Amino acid sequence: MSQDAAHHAPTSTGIDHKKLIMWLFLASDCMFFGTLISTHLLYRKLYPTGFTDAEGHQQFVQKLFNIELTSFSTFILLMSSFLMALAVSAMHKGELKSFRRNVLGVIFFGLIFLGCQVYEFTHFYHQGLTIQNSVLGSTFYVLTGTHGTHVAIGILWLVLMYFYSFTGKLGGHVGALDVEVAGLYWHFVDIVWIIIFTAVYLVEYLGPSGIWGNGLPTIAK
Amino acid sequence: MSHDTHHAPVASKLDLAPERSDLGLYRPDRTTGLLDWLTTVDHKKIGILYGAFAMFYFLVGGVEALAIRTQLARPDQAVVTARMYNQLFTMHGTTMIFLGVMPLSAAFFNFLVPLQIGARDVAFPRLNAFSLWAFVFGAFVLNASWLFEFGHLAGWFDGFAWHQALTYTDFAPANGWFSYAPLSGTFGQANAALQSPRFTGVGTDFWIIGIQILGVASLAASFNFICTILNMRAKGMTMMRLPVFTWMTLVTSFLIILAFPAITVALIELMFDRQFGANFFNPSAGGQPVLWQHLFWIFGHPEVYILVLPAMGIVSEILPTFSGKALFGYPIIVFSGAVIGFLGFAVWSHHMFTTGLGPVPTAAFSLLTMAIAVPTGVKIFNWLGTIWGGRVRFTPPMVLALGFIWMFMCGGFSGVMHSSAPADSQQQDSYFVIAHFHYVLLGGVLLGLMAGLYFWFPKIFGRMPNATIAYIGSGLVILGFNLAFGPMHYLGLAGMPRRTHTYHAGNGWEQWNLVATIGAYILGIGVCIVFGNLVWTALKGKKCSNDPWDGRTLEWSLPSPVPEYNFAQSPVVGARDAFTEHKHGSKRIAYENDGGDAGVHMPSQSWMPMLAAAGFLFIGFGMPMMSMGVPHAGWIVITGVGVLIAGIWFWAVEGPGGYMLKTPVEGPAPADRPSAATSAH
Amino acid sequence: MSDAVIDQKTIAIETERYHHFITLALWLAAITGVEIVLIFLPVAPVVILGVLALLSAIKFFAVILWFMHLIYDARLLFWLFFAGLALAFATFTAVMVLFSSDRIDTKWFS
Repeated sequence: MSQDAAHHAPTSTGIDHKKLIMWLFLASDCMFFGTLISTHLLYRKLYPTGFTDAEGHQQFVQKLFNIELTSFSTFILLMSSFLMALAVSAMHKGELKSFRRNVLGVIFFGLIFLGCQVYEFTHFYHQGLTIQNSVLGSTFYVLTGTHGTHVAIGILWLVLMYFYSFTGKLGGHVGALDVEVAGLYWHFVDIVWIIIFTAVYLVEYLGPSGIWGNGLPTIAK
Repeated sequence: MSHDTHHAPVASKLDLAPERSDLGLYRPDRTTGLLDWLTTVDHKKIGILYGAFAMFYFLVGGVEALAIRTQLARPDQAVVTARMYNQLFTMHGTTMIFLGVMPLSAAFFNFLVPLQIGARDVAFPRLNAFSLWAFVFGAFVLNASWLFEFGHLAGWFDGFAWHQALTYTDFAPANGWFSYAPLSGTFGQANAALQSPRFTGVGTDFWIIGIQILGVASLAASFNFICTILNMRAKGMTMMRLPVFTWMTLVTSFLIILAFPAITVALIELMFDRQFGANFFNPSAGGQPVLWQHLFWIFGHPEVYILVLPAMGIVSEILPTFSGKALFGYPIIVFSGAVIGFLGFAVWSHHMFTTGLGPVPTAAFSLLTMAIAVPTGVKIFNWLGTIWGGRVRFTPPMVLALGFIWMFMCGGFSGVMHSSAPADSQQQDSYFVIAHFHYVLLGGVLLGLMAGLYFWFPKIFGRMPNATIAYIGSGLVILGFNLAFGPMHYLGLAGMPRRTHTYHAGNGWEQWNLVATIGAYILGIGVCIVFGNLVWTALKGKKCSNDPWDGRTLEWSLPSPVPEYNFAQSPVVGARDAFTEHKHGSKRIAYENDGGDAGVHMPSQSWMPMLAAAGFLFIGFGMPMMSMGVPHAGWIVITGVGVLIAGIWFWAVEGPGGYMLKTPVEGPAPADRPSAATSAH
Repeated sequence: MSDAVIDQKTIAIETERYHHFITLALWLAAITGVEIVLIFLPVAPVVILGVLALLSAIKFFAVILWFMHLIYDARLLFWLFFAGLALAFATFTAVMVLFSSDRIDTKWFS
């Protein structure tokens, strides 16, 4: 039924090796991010009131977060995913220039996303959340930092691919496959963010002090 | 998939013209000797290298074990210090599991899987080489901790400022192979009494980074094998015609890719605690040390099935061969293997019955653990059904495989005793646990792997090990291991705790500890005889035929040792146990019209996988150095990351390359055969 | 088959998918916008949580099936990925349940 199967080398399943191995890697990465996300979530469940910063002030997570900034970076990442799909499509059609334009777009948006993350981390740090002063800091920075590292690796991959496309060696069926596999990685990084955005950011706004601290008094800020 | 095969087919790779890759460097395709082994992407050579390193590390782990047993032979001894004792049992467990059993299983996966499915190599030959070198370097990093420890004990570092500034001077890991928090973690910044926020020294950091590197190696190999088994089967080799060993490789690989991420994250979290002051497991800031136990055992329990399933696969090949009968209940054995793998993810907290989980979780995990005994029992009945009514030949592999069934069952019995949480509350952390897992790991896994070595050695090296020496060595191994670990069941129930460097007289433990130590030495002698015999056989043993055992699966249809290209022409199979059907049944193996003078596609050799893996050496030493307080050590880690990325970049740019190798083909002359240009690779 | 030539059929398929991608991107943006508005509504948090989970799942599977081509590819790939996803979800739900706060002493910290 798959149109794509006709293009692939004769493998027993009809699926190309590189595609199969990337999907296996993504299945494994689900367990990886699952561990990180659940570490964060279970500590949120245990300590619903947020964290106590270095000066001893109690801080609620909802007041710490800047939902406008995070929404913006989420949009950016979604759009980068869209551009990636276009880049893959362009490569399948053999349109190298269109591919390069779209990949530059993905790289650009990815960098904006990372920039937003850096800004956000700096902002939280100045508000008193550090890796060292609370469990929340540890789980939050390591989770989102690991995601950010995945994004950075993706950007590096795409930058190298962009430059490689000028050598004339990126093309045809193999080139399209390589781009598609890079695209799979990039899209996965995006869907992990979809989950993180909901489970780490959005749920903190449900109720007066987030879904975890529901019913607890809010602090005057 | 395009490949840059610029050459006409050659009869030998030495006939190739020198070729540059897209990087501008010459491909090492024409190398021989040591360089050939270092740049090889041939699954058979990679398998032999895994096996050689594994056997070496088995001996290292064995020495550590003998040191432990010597210390415990009599009460109140001081053969080693308490700290050294902790390091010994930690390194013994870590070495045996990660550097002994797993690489030896990997050796079998590498050598056999492409042959058993009728392929010429794995899906990603260079990735395969990367896995090997990542393992080699990770193993070196882990054991380098011993070198640091001995250097410290010898006083070599006393003059250095960084050494004098150290709070702790234990350089080898000493927290057990599971390295529980909070001991392996931190207690926060607030402690003024000690300069370091950590409870342990650099040894823990060596352990963390060593296991992390080894994890990458295992993951890469597993992705490769799943892809190979699913995608590169010969024509007619449907999934339900696969040899059971290949099936078990598939299940094990799935277990690895799904279980290792949990330990990867746990290690990252622990590393952040130690290096950057995070609070994942730091109680004084609210961290929950029991989380480490959960994450570790979410990995750790599937890990023990990763250890045992390959051995079960090996036994499932050997029993039918030497009973002269097909495996009884093939689909059920395959299905049971898959169920064991799946259920293995659901039972992790049976390692935590004494941590106060609560009655409901405890009961749930207890029930699931009992449930996992069922598919295991099913396999044992199927094995018995295989032997029953057959014409049994008691060759060395068969004797060891039979030993597996019996000894593994004993280990299973003590395991099911553990599954009852009330009983386990006495057994936990006692010698009963040690007895249990050594019965399944030694009596089970080691005997199974040894059986596999004796079984497939003739295929790998074309030489037959001497049967008498094999029987003697195997007998000593079985005798010694039973003497060593049998009494430990009693010792555990009599209350002797694990991981204690000595014990006082008067508890009634002295006699059996002495017996156990004697048994351990007999076991050691047996292992040395077996390994020595095998190494000697590889070099100078008596040559044998292609199929000395009347084998059942495809690898036995090939010459011994197996030529580079594996199959001169790709096989087309029509049944399970294809070679037996070919020899004694009605369905002969057909052959495709490839090979011959048109050649078969061989992958090019490469330095890049090793180069990329070399980045792990920098990372592996840099991270502990950061803990040691060596200035600028972080840059060493960053350099390592750079080397890794550069290696991968070069690997990608050089392209897969490849060349066409002629294969000897019997039958009509090339001109008479239809066009040999089959589907492109 | 020459690698350099892309056939007409592929081009037609890709052009059709191009329009799907644009539609999907707009829907994803819209759903994200709805989520952000939703969290400020004065409705019981548990209800909103349920809706958020549903919307996230929709976005998640939409990206997998269309942007990542799974709906056009072999079924095996979907099940391989889903196995990892399902195992992760089940295992870590169990871990979350195991860490119930009545078993942990949280008096010391907040």
